[in-house]
Amino acid sequence: MSRRHCFKIHAELNLRQSSLVLGWSEEVGSVGQKSTDYLNRKLKGQKFAEIEPEGFFPMGGVPVKDNLAQFPESKFYVCRAHELLVFRSDSPGAEWHEFLNSILDVAEHYCRVKELYLLGAMLTFGAHTAPRELLAVVNSPEMKEVLSQYDLARDMDYQTQPGERPTLNSFLLWIAKKRNIPGASLWVPVPFYLATTEDVQAQKRVLTFLNERLDLEIDFSDLDQEIREQNEQLAEARSRFPQVDNYIKRLESNIMLSEEENAELIKKIEDFLKEGS
Amino acid sequence: MGVRFCRQPELERPILIASWPGIGNIGIIAVDTLRGILEAEEFGEIEPWDFFYPRRVLIRKGILEYLEFPASRFYFKRLPGNDVIVFIGEEQPTEGGRVYAEGRKAYHMANLVLDVADRFKCRRVYTSGAAVALIHHTTKPRVWAVPNSESLIPEIRTYDNTVLMSDIEGRAGQGSITGLNGLLLGVARMRGFEAVCLMGEIPVYLQGLPLSYPKASKSVLEVLTNSLKIEVNLDKLDELDQKVVQRIEEFYQQIPLGIRGQLDRLKHVSYDRPAEPGPITEEEEKRIMDDVERFFRRQGGGD
Repeated sequence: MSRRHCFKIHAELNLRQSSLVLGWSEEVGSVGQKSTDYLNRKLKGQKFAEIEPEGFFPMGGVPVKDNLAQFPESKFYVCRAHELLVFRSDSPGAEWHEFLNSILDVAEHYCRVKELYLLGAMLTFGAHTAPRELLAVVNSPEMKEVLSQYDLARDMDYQTQPGERPTLNSFLLWIAKKRNIPGASLWVPVPFYLATTEDVQAQKRVLTFLNERLDLEIDFSDLDQEIREQNEQLAEARSRFPQVDNYIKRLESNIMLSEEENAELIKKIEDFLKEGS
Repeated sequence: MGVRFCRQPELERPILIASWPGIGNIGIIAVDTLRGILEAEEFGEIEPWDFFYPRRVLIRKGILEYLEFPASRFYFKRLPGNDVIVFIGEEQPTEGGRVYAEGRKAYHMANLVLDVADRFKCRRVYTSGAAVALIHHTTKPRVWAVPNSESLIPEIRTYDNTVLMSDIEGRAGQGSITGLNGLLLGVARMRGFEAVCLMGEIPVYLQGLPLSYPKASKSVLEVLTNSLKIEVNLDKLDELDQKVVQRIEEFYQQIPLGIRGQLDRLKHVSYDRPAEPGPITEEEEKRIMDDVERFFRRQGGGD
């Protein structure tokens, strides 16, 4: 099967050496979507390319969310001042190898990409009040060395557990390795009860690293304000619902909750945050 | 994307025996058992990444070491006058969440397998799978054989314990073989290879279980090795069968008594003369099938 040309370039770029930051829309805690949106907003990202959805996403109609028809998007943005590319996409449902190679085709051939940062999140059964450690998985020892000066956990051992499959980020990191493009997959823990809403603190943890690594000079005061507001909302939920406070206190003491208790905490927090928003 | 060869064996007009997973893993167990018995050596592999999503990642000390994909490998064995290529696909390349391969990827994989058959001038292709049948798990499964050329029918009629589709009551020679175990047969026909699919029978009530059915794999291997005049010891399949028999019996006892009573009658069906009516009438057979399907919400057919 020969590879299709399945992307559209809207603007020619003249970048010398770019970095690519990638986020998936469905990532838990909205880490992929909100972090890439934030970068585009703060750094005036402009759309310059997109991957066509045909063959990668189901085309049997459209889902409706919040009264709006949805359609899969896979878009590249450029923040010219920082030679930064941002790619935000829905996760493809088929032809993953072709899709992921297309991302690298655009990044490599049109933007001279020199490194990749893939944003990811993982569920934690800890509390939101715990500090967020950022984990990095890299595709070369050289990249590991490059990242050694940053506050990252870089020695993770992991293999896929039965019944699970590797993530798209692992797949992309592997393809990048084969194409000799250095890359890192970043993993920030998100408390399970914030997984379907958003975890602003997790977003900031990822963005802080990118800010340092890529010299983006971002002022995070607006994000700090969002974190304060979310923490206040969660504190209010704890004071209004003693059971929620009890559950979170137990998580803070590293005591696991039962499945039913987990489910109850998720529902209470989700409802409360939705009500507040 | 294509086939990577790690060796270039010299083979004389070999036969190709291919299989992918399917119902009861009957075909793939048969073919993989043969590969093991013959001590066939690997010589090539279909590059997997455009066909499959990876199934395992290994990260060591923060570095992504490797990504593992389902393998689709070729093996060979030189035998006097009977060189063999074995192909084993660990997964069928599916699209859109389907269980069996179909569409562009399936067609492409079938062609890659046959490219190897072409390269080594294979004289025949065999595939293997399952035939869902109204049989009891205590009886010896027959083998349904589907050739892709009329010229093969007289030879198949000489095989022991083997039936053509026209020998199966109510089928009138019709049926379907789902997935790559069937598709390869068709693509082989298009490309001028003679090919036969050998399907071991599996009881209709076991088709949806996550269990292998080595008893049928043994039937398939008996037919295959007899037709190729290869002598092999199939005790290994008996051992495998012993391991699953207990689980099948446990499951069988969970089937409602009314249906089980009807299924028990299948123990006494004899297929020695398959064209003649057995002790179960057509009407009774239909009722059993309806009951079983209602119970399991499954459809019958070959794979």
